Amino acid sequence: MTLLQVENLSVGYKTKKGILHAVNDISFTLEQGRSLGFVGESGCGKTTIGMTLMGLLPENAVITQGAIHFNGSNLLHFKDEQWRNFRGKGISMVFQAAMNALNPVIRVDEQIMEAIEVHSPDIPKTEIYKQVKNLFNMVQISEDRLRDYPHQYSGGMKQRAIIAMALACNPKLIIADEPTTALDVIVQDQILQEIKKIKKALNTSVIFISHDIAVVADVCEDICVMYGGQIVEKGKREEVFKSPRHPYTKTLLASYLSLDSDKNIKVLEIQKPPDLITLTGGCRFADSCKHKSKNCENHTPGWVDLSPTHQAFCFEDILNKDNND
Amino acid sequence: MIEDNTQPAPIIELSGVTKEYRTKATFFSKGYTNVMAMDNISLTLQRGEIFGLVGQSGSGKTTLGRLLLKLESPTKGIMKFNGKPINDLKGKDLKTYRSKVQMIFQDPYQSLNPHLSIAETILEPLIVNKIGDIHSRKEKVIETLDTVSLAPGKEYYDRFPHQLSGGQRQRVAIARAIVLDPEFIVADEPTSMLDATIAIQLFKLLQQIRKKYNMTFLFITHNLAAAQFLCDRIAVIHDGVIVETGPTDRVIQQPEHPYTKKLIQAQPKFNF
Repeated sequence: MTLLQVENLSVGYKTKKGILHAVNDISFTLEQGRSLGFVGESGCGKTTIGMTLMGLLPENAVITQGAIHFNGSNLLHFKDEQWRNFRGKGISMVFQAAMNALNPVIRVDEQIMEAIEVHSPDIPKTEIYKQVKNLFNMVQISEDRLRDYPHQYSGGMKQRAIIAMALACNPKLIIADEPTTALDVIVQDQILQEIKKIKKALNTSVIFISHDIAVVADVCEDICVMYGGQIVEKGKREEVFKSPRHPYTKTLLASYLSLDSDKNIKVLEIQKPPDLITLTGGCRFADSCKHKSKNCENHTPGWVDLSPTHQAFCFEDILNKDNND
Repeated sequence: MIEDNTQPAPIIELSGVTKEYRTKATFFSKGYTNVMAMDNISLTLQRGEIFGLVGQSGSGKTTLGRLLLKLESPTKGIMKFNGKPINDLKGKDLKTYRSKVQMIFQDPYQSLNPHLSIAETILEPLIVNKIGDIHSRKEKVIETLDTVSLAPGKEYYDRFPHQLSGGQRQRVAIARAIVLDPEFIVADEPTSMLDATIAIQLFKLLQQIRKKYNMTFLFITHNLAAAQFLCDRIAVIHDGVIVETGPTDRVIQQPEHPYTKKLIQAQPKFNF
């Protein structure tokens, strides 16, 4: 069952110099129980997508076109009241800065109870407390830490508590925006395994946003690679990471350092990121692309099907050329 | 650790360095407790090498960096720089020491003063240490900007930090650190806030600088892969104790300590 369908979504921010096109003509679908990852560098628009889905865009943002169908309703037609009921229940979000996402003067259990109380005022308190205990069991925080204040938690525990809070109202979709960026590798590994386990147990869909491709590759079944506000390659994880076709995806994979990396890896230098205020018609990655031709500067690339599930936003001749070297 | 006797004198020598922090006694607590941030650490850094210090948050790796910069003093142990003890440096000697030892911080969004232009940021160390005159300083700044690949230097001279990207800011921070031609630089997670493509460019830059000026680096990180890419030797630190030291490739390919193995296991990999 298709849970989320985003069609031709474009989001811009009003600035003094004009509208900054942060997200440009993006389409993707997400099935119930599947996980989708967005990877790209800072400023490529991945967080803007998450914020649009949550209805949390700042004042100066404008949605210039597109539709977001979630479970039969178009989210872009929601009024404030509807958004309030929807957040947490339909989609909930795990934010980047776990350290700052909890209220420091309220005990952790009360913060999670509050989330449930707001959405279902009829449930008695004892029942809610039972649910909170279950949530804590699920994210593996021991029950005697329920009454603690956030400052008594370590970074990893805070992030677990945030995940528990995101799960509190049984959302159909969880958006995790760089949930492990502030954590070190060992704790990161634990949290990622936790997210995978929960997704499997509850059949929740997950959208995972990160700049770290290995983290996304660990959690997500489907991948969208973003550059300059556009999706440039999408497909199954195996397709995108084992046989990348778009020159940007290749660059991104080449610059990823793992323990198996060759010390002499040649790094393609990425030039300045594209100017998203004054858009030119051509490919946005052209300046950094080693296969750039006249065509790339003057014509907008199109989607090229590489397999039924794997597509790249480029020109066919370049994709073929790149595949041969 | 067995040192090769034919090697020249080390630039940094730590023996038995211990740092304890004492938590404050508050109204509710039963009194103070001692937190051992670093426990009996002995290390030597050879001139011209990039030495990696790898560990989790809270393992004491930043404390070691702060001690070497003389921002804090050790509770016990001896620290030597070029063979001379630096534990009790004061006044003029301390100032001279600090001009030879520089720091690159983690977050380029916080480590640069937003009110100072790029030129003023990099000029400041020269002015403080009374090096050169107005003209030679300006030349030196432009030369340093070129070194960190913010070229042409003139173009960046009058800009402000908010006009630069994260990677460019970190280059400015590196320029500020190398402008005094220091002998030793402590880089504390310099790329953890940056994208992979930018991070690797900065690593290449650090390698170039090391080669050009024969500088010594202490690279503090939690990312083993980054340490493997950049460092000649690494030390793995856990709960204030160095559990394993050696040439980078040896430590990563044949880890001896269980904690090193755990750290390697937790590195994100493409296995699906």
